[in-house]
Amino acid sequence: MEAAPVLEVRGITKRFPGIVANDHVDLELYDGEVLALLGENGAGKSTLMNVLFGLYKADEGEILLNGKPVTFHSSKDAIGAGIGMVHQHFMLIPVMTVAENIVLGDEPTTTGILLDYASAENRVRELAENFNFDIDPTMRIDRLTVGQQQRVEILKALYRRAEILILDEPTAVLTPQEAVDLFRILRELKGEGMSIIFISHKLNEVLDIADRVSVLRRGKVVDTIPTEGATEEGLAKLMVGREVLLTVEKEPASPGEVLLEVDDLYALDDRGLEAVRGVSLTVCAGEIVGIAGVDNNGQSQLIDAICGLAPSVSGRVVVAGTECHRASPREMTDVAGVGHIPEDRQRRGLVLDFSIAENIALHDYRHEPDSRRGWLYPGRLLAQAKSLIKEFDVRGGSPMSRAGVLSGGNQQKVILAREISRDPRVLIAAQPTRGLDVGAIEFVHRRLVNERDRGRAILLLSLELEEILSLADRILVIFEGRIVGEFTPEASEEELGLAMAGGTTQEHAA
Amino acid sequence: MTAIAVQRLRSDRTVPIVGIALGILAFWLTLPPVASRSWAVPVLLGIVAVLTGIVGITHGKLRLGWGAVASGLLGIILGLLALQSGVNHLKLVFSWGGLIAATLVYATPLTYAALGGMFSERAGVVNIALEGMMLVGAFFGIWGAVTTGNWILGLLIGMGMGGVFALVHAIWAIHLRADQIVGGTAINFLALGITGYFFIQIYGNNGTPDLSNGHWFRGESIPDVHIPGLQGGGFFDQVLGGLNLMIWLSFAALILSYVVLFKTSLGLRLRAVGEHPRAADTVGIDVYRTRYVAVIVSGMLAAMGGAYLSIGFVHSFNQNMTEGRGFIALAALIFGKWRPFGAFAAALLFGFSSALATQVPAAYTDSSVSVLSSGSLFQILPYVLTLIAVAGVIGRSIGPAAAGRPYVKQ
Amino acid sequence: MSEPTGIPPVEELESTTFAGRVTARWNTAGTASAIGTTVLAFFVGGLVVLATGHNPIDTYKAIFNGTGLEWLIPGVGNRGDDASNLQQTLIVATPLMLTGLALAFAFRCGMFNIGGQGQYLAGQVVSVIVATSWVGMNGPVHIVIALVLASVAGAFWAGIAGFLKATTGAHEVISTIMLNWIAIWVADYFFGLGGPFTGVAFNPSSAPILANTHLPVFWGDPLLQGLHIGFFIAIAMLVVYWLILNRTTLGFEVRAVGFNPEAARYGGISVKRSYFTAMAISGLFAGLAGAVDILGWEFSLSTPAVHTSQIGFIGIAVALLGRNSAVGIFFAAILFGALSVGTSTRQLDPNVFDPQLASNLTLIIQGLVVLFVGADVLVVAMWRSPGRLVRRLRTK
Repeated sequence: MEAAPVLEVRGITKRFPGIVANDHVDLELYDGEVLALLGENGAGKSTLMNVLFGLYKADEGEILLNGKPVTFHSSKDAIGAGIGMVHQHFMLIPVMTVAENIVLGDEPTTTGILLDYASAENRVRELAENFNFDIDPTMRIDRLTVGQQQRVEILKALYRRAEILILDEPTAVLTPQEAVDLFRILRELKGEGMSIIFISHKLNEVLDIADRVSVLRRGKVVDTIPTEGATEEGLAKLMVGREVLLTVEKEPASPGEVLLEVDDLYALDDRGLEAVRGVSLTVCAGEIVGIAGVDNNGQSQLIDAICGLAPSVSGRVVVAGTECHRASPREMTDVAGVGHIPEDRQRRGLVLDFSIAENIALHDYRHEPDSRRGWLYPGRLLAQAKSLIKEFDVRGGSPMSRAGVLSGGNQQKVILAREISRDPRVLIAAQPTRGLDVGAIEFVHRRLVNERDRGRAILLLSLELEEILSLADRILVIFEGRIVGEFTPEASEEELGLAMAGGTTQEHAA
Repeated sequence: MTAIAVQRLRSDRTVPIVGIALGILAFWLTLPPVASRSWAVPVLLGIVAVLTGIVGITHGKLRLGWGAVASGLLGIILGLLALQSGVNHLKLVFSWGGLIAATLVYATPLTYAALGGMFSERAGVVNIALEGMMLVGAFFGIWGAVTTGNWILGLLIGMGMGGVFALVHAIWAIHLRADQIVGGTAINFLALGITGYFFIQIYGNNGTPDLSNGHWFRGESIPDVHIPGLQGGGFFDQVLGGLNLMIWLSFAALILSYVVLFKTSLGLRLRAVGEHPRAADTVGIDVYRTRYVAVIVSGMLAAMGGAYLSIGFVHSFNQNMTEGRGFIALAALIFGKWRPFGAFAAALLFGFSSALATQVPAAYTDSSVSVLSSGSLFQILPYVLTLIAVAGVIGRSIGPAAAGRPYVKQ
Repeated sequence: MSEPTGIPPVEELESTTFAGRVTARWNTAGTASAIGTTVLAFFVGGLVVLATGHNPIDTYKAIFNGTGLEWLIPGVGNRGDDASNLQQTLIVATPLMLTGLALAFAFRCGMFNIGGQGQYLAGQVVSVIVATSWVGMNGPVHIVIALVLASVAGAFWAGIAGFLKATTGAHEVISTIMLNWIAIWVADYFFGLGGPFTGVAFNPSSAPILANTHLPVFWGDPLLQGLHIGFFIAIAMLVVYWLILNRTTLGFEVRAVGFNPEAARYGGISVKRSYFTAMAISGLFAGLAGAVDILGWEFSLSTPAVHTSQIGFIGIAVALLGRNSAVGIFFAAILFGALSVGTSTRQLDPNVFDPQLASNLTLIIQGLVVLFVGADVLVVAMWRSPGRLVRRLRTK
């Protein structure tokens, strides 16, 4: 490592309204090495890579390529400088062929006008053969598996003679077998002298593929260490960090009867891939069950399948003894009595152009007292909203004001008010405090504990480990669509972090 | 083993394809020159066609199978209808040479506009303003030709004005990110108003003056091309002998559009922008510029279709003279699945139904079949077929993925 | 629309639906921007007039004189002439309110119903057929039957597009455009020479409707086309529109789907059923508009009228300018009704401005209004968040 780094990042700072996504980040990438960038969701990994690829402009700091400072105004500049990037969401055109996708923007032509398909296909074929990619250049992208599509993305970078390859959470969309193939390819590329930045939050992968690892936490690089000699426990500790726990006062739970039972549930994501793979869990009256896990491990699909918002493939959902498999969203809220605080409050939880009163009536507008025989009584909506606004301390709006004018915390209170006031047996809270300020977080937490004590079964999903640890009475860890472990709240963060990163399962290496 | 599989596949497809052909034959045999007068001919052939369709469907060839069933049933119905008319009348209508020439005449404005629409929509900008852009081309084409005394300049002026209107649509769609349907609707209103206003202002109630005959490089109207050796009364003479120059040019425009869109890097980039602008952006393609160019080209092509109407075909201008042809062109584009030859085939089909609409009533003036004594129902065909196509009953039409969505740079 | 597997969807629109944006801004800068849009459109139209050698002020004055709006200012102008002109303006505004409502209702559910014209025609066709048959039926009953069946016809015609959208995902813009032209040519066939419903020899027209199916005139001389009670029907429908949207669960669902289909689905609303219902109700208004015109003043339907009618298309401008609100639609309909009456041959003094030019000026102004509304939605949206305006200007 005596040689100068091929890529050097010095003091990169990138701010977005309200947060500092990258805070004076320093990074060095050497020739022919794999550098892993490890961090939790929201640690600033993707922002940093978008800065490197010219998609964002850094507010401070500089990038040096082979010792010379460079400025990227667009991804075109980055590509020109020999940087290739494989985005988390592939930048591929489904209805075009592999060859077309790869040469796009830098096409071989005959006489300068006509596109030379033969030469494009040949060059792609050569490239693919060089690296043992099993890819037919004439295939249409939408006929390929996700793993193959990813290889096309890599070929795209190789075609543009990239010397530095950035992969943004490349295994997030892959099956374990595909991930093994990807690692083989990456080693091969490394052997050819390519320098690779590998973004991940999965510890075992990082140890498997990387030479060195830089750990990012809250926008800062906490440490950069060689993977040789590093352990999953050590990395997990670095990644999660020591933080002040938000303490929530609560009595020990006294669980009653089982109210929510999920049995061997399978569900697909919107790309048709299996996202929930045989999840079984129970939640009893008077307890909070927390689902811990890294983002994109099937949590959202699990909740959609339970709430009837997405069809499940197989399995059972039983609420208070009633079979609810494949029930409609309305049957789940009205008949089964499931309350749902959705993950994305602005896209799903609220109609932002509706008034607060209308949002509160979003489930119940069809029933008395809100309406009778199809006739709506807005006065009653307003009256109900008025009392709930008071009870849940919603500030910044009257029952008549648009939900969109409220702050995030108050929007969440409106949702909470709606879901809790319906007296649900089961309350599902998905990331209930995401993006909220401390006061609002405290309010939500207190309210959830309060509802637990009133005998509701609460299923809490969060990406914040502290939240799970401070609220849940039992903790389930989800990884790649499976529940991989059950813990008590006394479990250490390291233990949990390890399980969340797939550390305790061996399936991944298979 | 693969050879057998291929053969099986082929035979599965053959049966319904034969069926479709039989359905057409059922109708054709009742028309001149054969003009069979027996009801048994279309009925029997039609039934066989339906049966082949059923065979096709049971072998999993749903699309072709249903096509054969439809073809068989239509063959029976149309054949029986033809029997209602006298042979002499039928001969009048189905003088095939004349009918095909008329089809080409009606199809040409559609072809230009549909090709125009293809550029715009393939780049991701929905263009329901084809109607307005055609109208602009029609008016400013004739205005230019009369003012300069030269049809070439007239055509160029018409195209230029079509491009200007398209530019407005582009600014609204791309930079202002206005709803593309609203923008297109506005352009249609504006085109109708502005062409009507200037038509009255300039030409008053007398209408546009008579155009002088066109020759290759002079004259006010676009010339017909009289091909030496094809001036007799035979079939090919009727079809190809005296087509307008713009019809021949439309073939060139068709081929050129195909080559540009599918054989050049420009076309690849344009289509990429319409499918996945962000992917195009990440490899350094200027999404906005590509869209501007595509929409302006779209307006110019649509205007060519309009100019053909005014200075190539009708030789005058009337208010709202396009009469919805822009929307038929849109239909042709969708029916042809946003592909040049598909859109051209649809334009021919729709042109054929227009040609029939003007000629069929003659065959039924003394008949009791009132459906056919007016050509109106033939005018409906393009719209019904397109409705069926967008609903996906027969081969779903799905447009470019990003059409209608404004692109926001990161 | 089926999602291709393995490929993330193309980036989302920055806001919800266009309809959501139009409607939501009404309460804020909406009124001001509607007036601003209109003024700007008239100003640009005036420039066209000026550029072609006419005096825009005289022109607009003459058009205004023909609209009869002067009647509303006591003590000015000729009361008798103004009254009869105002009757004409309101006669035209009546169907415009209804087609405007049709467009607005679909907008509120997040759909663009360009098919107002076809649904209006469906209503005209059915009402003329009903009102020319069943001789001897009691007048008011006959009128009600004609109005109801015409509305149902409009609802059916629009319902086709709604059904296709709900079941196959076919885009309503394309299907309603196609349905417009199908309606036009079916009507052309029905009432064309030799058509099944042609009622006058050697004339492509229906028979005149029965005398007792004429809508009663309540203001002006029935023989000189006075204002018929269809005006009140339209006003009633403005109220009905408001009531459905704001006082029924159906309206709640429609608005929820229009603003945010995903949240509506989460709330338990069937988005697909809402698409169908909203489209059918939208067509109901347009079909009624057709019947009101037939029974109110047209009294028969001819094929030239079928081809030249623009009532459904103007409804687009009415709904957009009126920002989908009942009150806004009322004023926008009066504006466009006044414009088309003020520029008609009958009202406009040809010595000041050629009526043929003026009717095209109307189209230009209409186009400009729609164009500016399209952009102004954006301007108003950014008004609320100035940061975005700055950012947008910066993206080259």
